[in-house]
Amino acid sequence: MTVISTPPPPLPVRRKPNGPIGPAGTTGSVAPGGPADAAGQVGADGCADGRAGSTGPAGLTGSADPIGSAGPGSPGRAAAPGLSPMLHRLAAERATGVLLREHGTLYLSEGRIVHAESPETPGLDVLLTTGGLLHPDAWREAVAQAGARRRVGRYLVDHGRISEGSLELCHVAAVFDAAYFVLGASGEPARFRYGAVHWLGAVRPVPVAALERETLRRRELLHRIWPDPATDSAPLARAELPAGPPVTARQGAVLDQVDGVRTAADISHVLGRPAFHTLVDLRRLVAAGIVRAAPPRAAEPEDPSHGPPAPDPHHPQQSGAIVDPVSALLAQPAADPGIALLRRLRDALEAL
Amino acid sequence: MANTETALKEALASIEGATGAALVDYTSGMALGTIGGSKGFDLNVAAAGNTDVVRAKLRTMEHLGLKGEIEDILITLSDQYHLIRLLTGRGGNGLFLYLVLDAKRSNLAMARHQLKRIEAELEV
Repeated sequence: MTVISTPPPPLPVRRKPNGPIGPAGTTGSVAPGGPADAAGQVGADGCADGRAGSTGPAGLTGSADPIGSAGPGSPGRAAAPGLSPMLHRLAAERATGVLLREHGTLYLSEGRIVHAESPETPGLDVLLTTGGLLHPDAWREAVAQAGARRRVGRYLVDHGRISEGSLELCHVAAVFDAAYFVLGASGEPARFRYGAVHWLGAVRPVPVAALERETLRRRELLHRIWPDPATDSAPLARAELPAGPPVTARQGAVLDQVDGVRTAADISHVLGRPAFHTLVDLRRLVAAGIVRAAPPRAAEPEDPSHGPPAPDPHHPQQSGAIVDPVSALLAQPAADPGIALLRRLRDALEAL
Repeated sequence: MANTETALKEALASIEGATGAALVDYTSGMALGTIGGSKGFDLNVAAAGNTDVVRAKLRTMEHLGLKGEIEDILITLSDQYHLIRLLTGRGGNGLFLYLVLDAKRSNLAMARHQLKRIEAELEV
């Protein structure tokens, strides 16, 4: 079918050298559309934008938020390159199908976004059922009854399982949440499969421009709260503070899930909250010095992330394992609260 | 019953003096729906900015150890009222309604009352 050939995506003006951005995928390779595959598959725009998703301490200056709506002073810079040139073209040609990228998928219908999914984020079902808006059985029933007709959303509303307003709000939250990750840095070329339709059915389509604008605004928001993206993906640990500042109830719920093992994505699934919201809460907790990324070698037997450890009664063998806590601490310079504080200070100063 | 658009339209139509309204997620700062506003008054910018207002108040309450919930926040300008109403429904976790009123044409007590009713209709 149709094969779009694309120019290589624009390279970022500045790229943070040690950011988690692979230079791979900038070649705009075109996958051969196999004749057996009725759906045209197009490879392009693998790494739409080098600064995507990772805003390192010094990374996001100047070129940040080119069309964001957050800053009142930024309306004039609308000509900046988008997050995904391919998505722009698909919107322009009013395409219907699914865009497959490294971190998830975007479903389009006549050029507008109707659904988005990412493994990094809880799906619509989790958002609906965890908060008690919808019973899991009702969801399963709707998928079974209306999935084949691709009208699950309509079915839920028509059968009085959920109000149209609630479904819309949860759906739009899920779409923007997943899109934030789908449109993040990607090391693989994207593909588009024409004609694919999601089984949920249309709820409230979102224009591509609005999605991109919001995604850029979200990046800038995270960067403004705390510039280091380390806690977005790493296992998280509490920083040992003598007396932590009080946190809001929503942040408290996130903090309760921080156990030295779970990541932001894990916490979002447990709480049934959009993953981006967890990132926001976590960056605020990091900025307040309450949470930090767990040291990379925080192995369970010694678990230095929990500071001077009281022996865990559930793991009596552990107390024997920590033969020399001093050398364990020395091997983990990040565990020294003084050094951790200095690093945070340095990061904050660099971000100014 | 109502979807977001209908509820916001109703807010604008039924509340005397209302010139704009938005439904806002205060963690991300995103407006999930807007109605009204003008070239000189971008509701998306207002939505993002007013999340800081809500957050500051929530934090202050934590610092003070207050256990009550915020029902609404009123900001009076010389010529406008800005009314923020936090939604409390099961799914309304972390949302607020934001209403802009023309001070000369509006009745504040009535507007608060109407906003409460619209919240109920949203069923979030």
